[in-house]
Formats: sequence, C-alpha cells, structure tokens
Amino acid sequence: MSTALVELQGVTKIYRLGEVEVPALREVDLRVEPGDFLALMGPSGSGKSTLLHILGLLDRPSAGKVLWEGEDVTRLNGGRLAELRGRRIGFVFQMFNLVPNLTALENVELPLVFLGVSLRERRKRAEEALVRLGLGERLHHRPSQLSGGQQQRVALARALITDPALLIADEPTGNLDTTTGREILTIFSALNKQGRTIVLATHDPEAAEVAKARIRLRDGRIMGGTP
Amino acid sequence: MILDLFRLSLRNIRHRGLRSWLTVIGILIGTAAVVALISIGQGLQRAISSRVEQIVGYNTILITSRGLNLGQRIRLDIEAIRAIPGVRNAVAVRTETAYVEGPGGKGFLAVLGYDPAMDEFVAEMNLTVSAGRALAGRGEVLLGSRTARALGAQVGDEVTIEGRKFQVVGILQALRAGGFATGGLSMADLLVIPLPELRELFPGPELVQYAVVRLSERADMAAVSERIRDHLRAVGERNASLTDFEDLTRNIQSVISGVQAFLAGIAGIALLVGGVGVMNTMYTAVLERTREIGILKAVGAKDTHVLLLFLFESGLMGLGGGALGLLIGFGVAWAATAIVSRVFQAQGAFSPVLSMALVLGALFFSFLVGAIAGIFPAYRAARLPPVDALRYE
Repeated sequence: MSTALVELQGVTKIYRLGEVEVPALREVDLRVEPGDFLALMGPSGSGKSTLLHILGLLDRPSAGKVLWEGEDVTRLNGGRLAELRGRRIGFVFQMFNLVPNLTALENVELPLVFLGVSLRERRKRAEEALVRLGLGERLHHRPSQLSGGQQQRVALARALITDPALLIADEPTGNLDTTTGREILTIFSALNKQGRTIVLATHDPEAAEVAKARIRLRDGRIMGGTP
Repeated sequence: MILDLFRLSLRNIRHRGLRSWLTVIGILIGTAAVVALISIGQGLQRAISSRVEQIVGYNTILITSRGLNLGQRIRLDIEAIRAIPGVRNAVAVRTETAYVEGPGGKGFLAVLGYDPAMDEFVAEMNLTVSAGRALAGRGEVLLGSRTARALGAQVGDEVTIEGRKFQVVGILQALRAGGFATGGLSMADLLVIPLPELRELFPGPELVQYAVVRLSERADMAAVSERIRDHLRAVGERNASLTDFEDLTRNIQSVISGVQAFLAGIAGIALLVGGVGVMNTMYTAVLERTREIGILKAVGAKDTHVLLLFLFESGLMGLGGGALGLLIGFGVAWAATAIVSRVFQAQGAFSPVLSMALVLGALFFSFLVGAIAGIFPAYRAARLPPVDALRYE
C-alpha cells in the first residue's frame, strides 16, 4: 500500500467543558490519498469540523496518531506545525475568514509573507491567482466591499497560493446562495480534476455530490462511506 | 518578513484610528512632561553655572557663615586677609542699619561701607552709578534708587546718617536683579558711604556679611584657603566657611539635579500611566482580533510571528508617542522659559537644553514602555491555540 497523504490512526478528541468531558471524535481511522476528493457529512456536532481541524494540523488529537506523508506529526511543536500548514495545506472556511483591514490582494499574499517570499514575487503570484478566479477587477477591495461569493473566491485564491498538497474546506457553500455555491463547487471539482487533493465538510447534498467519495460521521464515529 | 510584519502592525495601528491616537497621546503626555522638565532643568543648570562664574569667578573664594546664611555675620579682618600671599584682592561686605534723615523722608535703612578695593567688583556688585559720580572722599554718600525716593533726596542734597551729615554725590543704577554679591539686599535699598566712616559710626569689632577673596593667577587655592582658615581661627571666628567656585557650582547643581530628578520621576508616572493605556489597548486588540490571529495561524504564522506583530504595534505606538512628546515637550519648555524670562526679566535669560542624550533617551524609553506594555497581550495572542482562535465569535 502506498503512503497516504494524511492518515489518522485511532484518533480521539475530547473537549473539556468545565467538569464535563465531551468526546468529539472516537477512535477514528482515515486515509486521505493523493488526488482524493472526500466529503465529510453528518449532522452538526457529529465531529466534522474537529476532524478537519486535526487533518489540517490546527488541532491535536487527545489520543491516536496523525501521519503526514508517512511521518508522525502528532507530537511536533507548534512552530513546525505552523510551517507545515503554511507550505502544504490550504484552508477555506464557511465564514470566509478574510482579514478585514487587508485588501483582497494582501489577503491572498498572506501565506507567502510567513514563508518569507519577497514582496514583488508575492504580488505577482497573488494577482495571477485572483485573476484566474475572475477577481482581476477587485484586487484592491477590502472584504467588506465584496459579495459573499467574491469573498469565498478570495479565500480560495489564498488557500491555493502556496500550491498546497491538501485543500481543506469547512462548509464552503454554507454562507452562499445556491447559484454562488454552485460556482464555488465547480471550481473545487475542476481543481480536483487537475489533481488537487480535497477534503470538505458539508451539510449540502449537492456539495457532497461533487466529491468522489462521501464519509458519514455520527457522534464522532465514521458510520461508513459511499465510494 | 520582519519588514512585512512591521507594515502589518503599522496598518493595524492606522486602522484603529482614534483609539490609536488616544493611546499615543497617553505616551505623548508622559514623554512631553519628562522632556520639558529635564530640558528646563538642564537649561537652568547651564544658566546658573555661567552666572555663578560671572559673579564669583574661577579664582575666587567666598567667606560666609556656615550654610551660606548671609543674615549671620562673621568676624574677620579684611586687611589681614588681603595681606596673605597669593591674594590679589579681597573685600568684605559690611552693612549696618542706621537712622537716616533726608529732605523728604526718614527711617532705618541699610548702609554699606565702601572700600576702594571694591572698584574691581563694581559691575558684579551692581555698584554702577547712574546719576552723579562715584564716591571720592569723606562725607559723601551714594543712594540706591528706592532709597533716594524714600528720602526725597537728589544729587547735591544732604542726608543725615546717625547724626552725621553726608552729601549725596550719586544715585546707583536701578539694576535688574538684586545680587548674591550684595548680601541678599537689593542695591536699590542701600546707602553707600566710605568704609572708614561706617566704622566710625559703628565702632567695635568688625562683623561682615561676607567677604570675597580673589586670588592672583597661579596661586594655590588650597594653600590660600588654609591661611584664611588660620586667620579666622586667630580672630575667634568658628562659624565661617569657605566656598570656592567649584564648591558653589557643585552645590547648586546638586540641588537642581535633585529637584529635577524628583520632578522627572513624577512626570515618569505619567509615562507609566501611558504604558498602562498601551497595555489596555493591546489587550482589547487581542480580544477583537482573536479570529484574525486564528486566520494568521491557519495560513502558516508561527507564534513568534504573532508575538512580533503585536509587539511592533505596541512599540510603535510608544515610539510615536515618544517622538511627538519630544517635540511638544521641548516646545513647552521653550515657551515656559521664554515666559519666565520675560516676566521676571531675569538677567541672562535662559533657554532649555535639548541634549542628544535626552532625545535618544526619550525615544528609547517611550519605545521600551510601549514594548513592555505590549509583552503580556502579545504573549497571550501568540499562545492562542489556532482552532480556538478561529472558533472565537
């Protein structure tokens, strides 16, 4: 068996709310192979977001292992994880999560800032990425001056600017109307066809339909997949 | 990358607009207060040094009662001191209170004994005559300008001092400030008669306010001082003390430095309060931008990046406040000394001194206050777990 891009082995995540322990994930095993397009489905509270956060190295499991391209990253320090996130992972969120006082262009440049890419090079790459997503006219607009669909495309451009191995999307169409949502999904689908590995969490059956495989979660457990 | 973080910080400061300004103003006031006080203090020290040098001179020894108390008189024989080798000139200032009658008034007034040796000190002692002429012989008197008015006397008139008649030959120039050199009395309030006649009017042991001893060039200050002390012991004067220029300057400087340090310390409290303002702003900023911190971390920012971002922000606000405070503080000091000089018409009007050390110190210190105030908020921001920060509403 070839090396998975990301592999979770027996991952459990428990949140502590005061005295109460809330298990968000229970002994989850999951392999994400290069070129996969997985949709995580399930009701709210089923653990979709937690699973995405752990896959995206934003959070650490309470128990179990996370392997990135075969390497155990469960115990890596915060700085190394930040570097991995910066180089290898792109995130798209439901709330777009753009930095409000930066322009579209500057938002897209942001990941490159932390990789130490020069201003000239960043500008060029960010501009190209935005133009490719049809935002050539909106480079110097701030998020508040953009529509939801435009903001999500800026977020997508930011996620892709580092040419990441894995694109993680948490309800990317959740805050968009149907038409705009469809446009975003079309882009995801095209990206996957170009070989980009994608994991997205969604409620939206239409979004799940675009993925190549679906995984159902309930109460922090994987209930089964539809290949 | 540091430069990029710097740019981001600057942008965040600008973005907060009014609140950033208010924070900066906190630092500004503190720095301005410290800078104003120190530059005024340094100006004052410089002015006093040069004034003391003007009055006393480098090669001069003052003989006064202990603690520079000019009201307490001392016993000495000025002729004996003048005879000490190495002494070029020495004068004793002796005043007595006498009953004086003039054409238009009478009363108890201070009378100074004039000694031809004083001619060397005329300018310093404000003995310049504005009308008439200087004293030339017995039976002559000079009047201070206020004394002349009080007695209703002019040049050529006659006044009676302790029953003896004197002719007014001159009026002293109404001078700027009463000097140390006149024994704390303003020349405007004096009468000046020849010393021998003062001695005749007030017989008995000679008691003087103070004496000024000027040394010849290359004289050994320590040796001369010792001989003067011998003399004072010989006449039984135990309460006198000797002060040379350096002593005097050092004493005055140390008093000013002390006052200055005290005031600057109080002003420093304002700067501290400014720092607390920065801290408050930064904590609020961390709360407000928790989500943004999460975003930065999701796109690859390390803890140190976030830490630097916030530290730059607070440090920049400190530095900005410091730079503006420096300008405003010096402006205030300049205006204040100009007003004081004008109101008191002080001789040798003084101006504040802005030394390089003060400029750099103020900038460095205000940056430091900002950065230190930012440490805890920045640390908190840096340590936020990315996933919690992203979830923050």
